[in-house]
Amino acid sequence: MKSVIIGQYIPGKGLFYRLDPRTKIIAVLLIMIAVFLLESITHLLIGFGIAFMLLIIGRISVIKVIKGLKPIMILLIFTFIFQIILNREGEMIVNHEMYLTLYTALFLVLAFVVWRVLVKFTRFRFTMFFLFVAGVYLILRYVDFGYQLLSPFNFQVYEAGLRMSAFVVIRLLIIITLSTVLTLTTKPTNLTQGLEKLMHPLKKIGFNSEDFALIISISLRYIPTIFDEANKIMLAQASRGADFSEGKLKDKLKQVISLLVPMFIIAFMRSEELANAMESRNFVPGNKRTRINELIFSYRDVIATAFSVLVLALAIVLKVI
Amino acid sequence: MGIRFNQVSYEYPSFAEGLYSAIRNINLEITEKNEFIALVGHTGSGKSTLAKHMNALIFPTSGSLEIYGNIITAKRNRKVKYNSIRKKVGLVFQFPEYQLFEETVEKDIMFGPMNFKITQEEAKKKAKEALNLVGLDDSYLSRNPYNLSGGEKKRVSIAGILAMDPDILILDEPTSGLDPAGRRVLMNLFQDINKKTGKTIVIITHDMDLVYQYFNRVLVLNDGNLIFDGEPEKLFRSEDLIKYHLDYPNTIKVLSHLNKELHLNLNIYQKTLEEALEEIKRGGLL
Repeated sequence: MKSVIIGQYIPGKGLFYRLDPRTKIIAVLLIMIAVFLLESITHLLIGFGIAFMLLIIGRISVIKVIKGLKPIMILLIFTFIFQIILNREGEMIVNHEMYLTLYTALFLVLAFVVWRVLVKFTRFRFTMFFLFVAGVYLILRYVDFGYQLLSPFNFQVYEAGLRMSAFVVIRLLIIITLSTVLTLTTKPTNLTQGLEKLMHPLKKIGFNSEDFALIISISLRYIPTIFDEANKIMLAQASRGADFSEGKLKDKLKQVISLLVPMFIIAFMRSEELANAMESRNFVPGNKRTRINELIFSYRDVIATAFSVLVLALAIVLKVI
Repeated sequence: MGIRFNQVSYEYPSFAEGLYSAIRNINLEITEKNEFIALVGHTGSGKSTLAKHMNALIFPTSGSLEIYGNIITAKRNRKVKYNSIRKKVGLVFQFPEYQLFEETVEKDIMFGPMNFKITQEEAKKKAKEALNLVGLDDSYLSRNPYNLSGGEKKRVSIAGILAMDPDILILDEPTSGLDPAGRRVLMNLFQDINKKTGKTIVIITHDMDLVYQYFNRVLVLNDGNLIFDGEPEKLFRSEDLIKYHLDYPNTIKVLSHLNKELHLNLNIYQKTLEEALEEIKRGGLL
């Protein structure tokens, strides 16, 4: 759980930490729209460069962001592969004959075993995965001797497929980088406060942004607490012989129930206690509340907003031309 | 046999300080028979962490411990059957809410024994026995554990472990949140079990009166270090108790106060109220 960077705030200093959360939300939103408007790959690459520049300006560790990308990486790889294989428009670029013979199958199994073993003992999981994929490709391509299990088939890559897959991947990368910068540099409480202020005008159509912000901040606040409680319950039940890492599937089912029931009961107890605590401190839903830390819109925010508006305007201009 | 700690340390990851060490270099031996041990220390001194090591719920970050011949180290070992350790060493948690989950008290108490592969009838019998042991009658068997009072929940959770019939019983503050009468009932029960079956019992407590009255061995933890291991009376004879955020039992406090104010020469080391009263009478005050 701890390695998940997405949506996690990491304390630090730098330009983005000092920006108003409202500015950051708006800027990220505008730049995202701009990214979706771009149509050529060079423009997208420039966009990616800008996103990268923002990381450097904000003095955010690139390694941290890359680590944060890890869970998304699988998604990116799959979109990439599917786009390449399934998109058959434009010119054909690669046309390789692939074979699946008895020996190929054997080599594939061997490659798989080697990959799994290496993953267990080394730290470079993603590198290993790429090496494995490359190995599979080479085996399919060049091992053409032996008894044929399938008639040879063609591995084809079309120009549009390549372009589209690069397009989608870069677009996703920019969006994820930007949102990671947002959550990495903004405290959840500030984020919800920013959202609350931004959605304030929606009150006219009956949407109460303050309640919404409160709901979000309470749920965020309780995620670690609930994890803590779950851990305690797990230990208490393990102490009664329900160890989750031992035992058969049938036993495990019962053990899950022994975890879930106390979990719900404790969550309900907690929420009731919280409600009482809030009420005894005079919280009345819907009443106007003041804040200890008011958001301040400074000159930095003006610059940042202007920059994002500029980016969007540029994207629109490019689209129209 | 029993439990042997060998240079056991445990560290929690903590945001502020990197690693927060809960217990440090603990060397300790608990034999499997006839021991009645109190584990004391101020809040945050590592008592619960130490207790969780005793039935291999958590593993030491350094050092090792031996529980009934099973060596427990930082790494999980496939050969060690952790579940069977928990059958031998039962740990009752401080808050019963973390373990009660069935619709009836009976089913809940049966959960532990059933995890160790015994028949339903046998588990039912054990549940009933355990419930009676903790001072609740059979009418509780069919009740919903969540509709009980705090003290009753506590007793049911203790019964849940007793029904597993462990060789060593560890209880994390079993008497907290109970009224004085209930406290005495439970302490007498533990003493009874200890005397009749010879099971070793370890109890975490803050109540120095209980420590003095009931136990023959006391372990004191201070900031994760084991600073005392011996008889309670020896502990209370030492001067630096206050330094460790501990207190003297009421009998000692009252008698020494009398000694000081009235310039008497009473023997202040009296375990129970009755003995204290006798001593006061002997001193000619009554």
